[in-house]
Amino acid sequence: MLKFILRRLILSIPVLLGVSILSFLIISAAPGNFLDVFRLDPSISRETVQRLEREFGFDKDPFTQYFTWLFQVTKGNWGYSFQFKQPVFNLIWQRLGATLLLSLTTLALSWAIGIPLGIYAALKQYSFKDQLSSVIAFLGLSIPNFFFGLLFLYFASRTRLFPIGGMLSVNSSQMNTWQLIGDYFWHVIGPAITLGFSGLAGIMRQMRGQFLDQLHMDYVEFSKAKGMPRKIVFYKHALRNAINPLVTIFGYSLSGLLGGAVLTETVFGWPGMGRLVIQALTAQDLYLVMASLMVSSLMLIIGNLAADILLAVVDPRIRYRFH
Amino acid sequence: MAKNVENVKKNVTAENLGESFEVEFLPRRALLWRSFRKHKLGILSMWILAFFYVIVIFADFLSPTSPFKQNASIGFAAPSKIYWKHKGEWIGPHIYPLETARDPITYQRSFYETSELYTVKGSKSDGSSFVYTIGENNVTALVAQVKIDEIGVGETGETLFKTTNKDWNMVRIEKEGIFKEPIISLSVEKDTLDLYRSNPRYARTLQQIGVLQQIKTVETLQKITVKYNDGKSESVPVSVLEDYDFKVYPIKWFVQSWEYKLLGFIPANLHLFGVDSPAVLYLFGGDNYGRDVYTRILFGGRTSLSVGLIGILITFTIGLFLGGVSGYYGGWADEVLMRLTEILISIPTLYLLISLRAILPPDLPSTTTYLMVVVILSFIGWPGMSRVIRGMVLSLKQKEFVEAAKAMGYPSLRIIWKHIIPNTATYIIVAASLSIPGYILGEAGLSFLGFGIREPQSSWGLMLSQAQDLVALRNYPWLLLPGLFLFIAILAFNLFGDALRDAFDPRSLGH
Repeated sequence: MLKFILRRLILSIPVLLGVSILSFLIISAAPGNFLDVFRLDPSISRETVQRLEREFGFDKDPFTQYFTWLFQVTKGNWGYSFQFKQPVFNLIWQRLGATLLLSLTTLALSWAIGIPLGIYAALKQYSFKDQLSSVIAFLGLSIPNFFFGLLFLYFASRTRLFPIGGMLSVNSSQMNTWQLIGDYFWHVIGPAITLGFSGLAGIMRQMRGQFLDQLHMDYVEFSKAKGMPRKIVFYKHALRNAINPLVTIFGYSLSGLLGGAVLTETVFGWPGMGRLVIQALTAQDLYLVMASLMVSSLMLIIGNLAADILLAVVDPRIRYRFH
Repeated sequence: MAKNVENVKKNVTAENLGESFEVEFLPRRALLWRSFRKHKLGILSMWILAFFYVIVIFADFLSPTSPFKQNASIGFAAPSKIYWKHKGEWIGPHIYPLETARDPITYQRSFYETSELYTVKGSKSDGSSFVYTIGENNVTALVAQVKIDEIGVGETGETLFKTTNKDWNMVRIEKEGIFKEPIISLSVEKDTLDLYRSNPRYARTLQQIGVLQQIKTVETLQKITVKYNDGKSESVPVSVLEDYDFKVYPIKWFVQSWEYKLLGFIPANLHLFGVDSPAVLYLFGGDNYGRDVYTRILFGGRTSLSVGLIGILITFTIGLFLGGVSGYYGGWADEVLMRLTEILISIPTLYLLISLRAILPPDLPSTTTYLMVVVILSFIGWPGMSRVIRGMVLSLKQKEFVEAAKAMGYPSLRIIWKHIIPNTATYIIVAASLSIPGYILGEAGLSFLGFGIREPQSSWGLMLSQAQDLVALRNYPWLLLPGLFLFIAILAFNLFGDALRDAFDPRSLGH
């Protein structure tokens, strides 16, 4: 197992290098740089701009710039954000926390609802409730995230039941821990529902399909015929077999969520990575763009790795192939 | 074959004879159609999509106003109220022009419907009667001057305050049927107390005055100014108003208004419906510049719905070519391509989209922007596509027919295009219909964030970005309508793709 994980980690290093080269190419190809704003400002002298250029290394060729950056990163120096006047590392650390919190809440929410709903729909196959949940699932898979977010915001602003953006209330600094947690959950409901709806729909459909497949197997029929209590047949035997394939989906939804939710974060004003990337790109904040693209790619890779590991845990065939 | 015939013979019964016959002898295309037809939802979504594409192609013909026509003074106008009756008589659908008023106390903007006096009949204060009609006797306009009195009435009916406001010189359309019968004096009385009560700034004043029972607002017609086409005007004091009428703006069918090019090249100015200016028909309300949301949804659909088709075309060409080549030849080309796709797949999609957009200068002409968005979207799509194609080519390469083609000395590219790629057709068609929603969503997301299609061009995502303003979202919910269209289009594509996938499934063809 350890060998398998190590192998995957080592394989991801060249990919990350490639990502960094690609990002750097993209940024260098973009017209102008961060100092353009200063150049246009008549109150800033030409000497100041030149000094800044030297400081940030814009006077050197992209090749040198890239390797300087790479060298600094390996030493643990992620550079400095021009726009936020902060070390990039601190900035990313704050934003990554918000994104991770949102992703994990969403994941917990969609799985905690999706699995039982799927089981329920499978047990009541072709009933009205089953068909209703299938319809809702299809709607959930098709509704654009940001449209759903806007609908939620409309609802929130009309009824004032939910906050209309942000992660914590303005007066959060005066709250104690429990109030803070409550406040967070009050704020996270909107973005989490928005993000989780499509995932939930997918999980529900998969769970229903897998569970139905198992219910039609001979061993289930046999157990029933033998007189085994239904509860044990369904939840001990069929459910265990049905849930295995869902582990893969879990991994991929994890990686999808870690990869970021730019649109949802923008709609709800969530202070996460997605908005940071957009702010950095619009201001051409070189090192911030590089770092945030790298980190979000890393998150995606980690998510995929987690998916593979989970799969290897439940499926011995994959585990043994790498031994 | 022989075995199949045996099967047919074995199961000959009245109802499945036809079925087996069809499976055996119908061409593949007919079989596909037969199994596709079984999906009610798939068929329904096919029709919905066809309808969408037709209305989008004929968007100019179906739009009463130009998508770029701004009416900034009535921005965020609510959907037009359509009336059917005028003075109690059915005259067909008609609307009135909108005017804005700003509440002097709350500064909140409100719209009211206005119209012009069209004909007036009555008698002057000296007893002589008069009739004026626009268009007759050189009369060009009739302006009514109205005095507005506000009287605060206390609990016992005493007058607590009385104000007289400045003259008002337009006809306000209050509600349908209010002018049912000719009134002797144009004097409208209504209770406006609730209006003031609901206003926090006025509440203090109301308290100081005392307990009010009602505020009587009386609007009285004082005189009518008649304007003639030689520039002169006459002021007519009115003592008795016998009858009057005002202009209505009927919704006309097949009107000629703004110019456009039908299908992109036939100059035309005929439209399905429209109203005379200054009235503006807002079927779905107006946006912040007072542009018609209905029109812009139709034009936005052009962008949003075509992006998917063109994008998929580009992606599939690249994906087929690169996937085919790397799968067939293998070696270093395969290695390089696959590493590249791995890198591209590792960057979250939307980040990559935005970064690629950042390369391009922000001030491109609108058509170039559109092309760029399509190209960027296709660029995102090809890695996944070519990986799948590569896998399929790898397995197809081992098949006998490819070996045979090689043995006959066909050039490799010909084998790829003529023998291998056609065998991936089923997958390609299904994948195409299922990945179009991704392109539509990609474009919408980019435009929503401000990186895609730009004003004054229209796209569903761009239109939704106006709803990001919370005040606008709260007060003008029709800004969300483009999202509904986006949603329906994506749902239809998903259902259609699902039905296609089931139809292409060999089991459903009866094989």
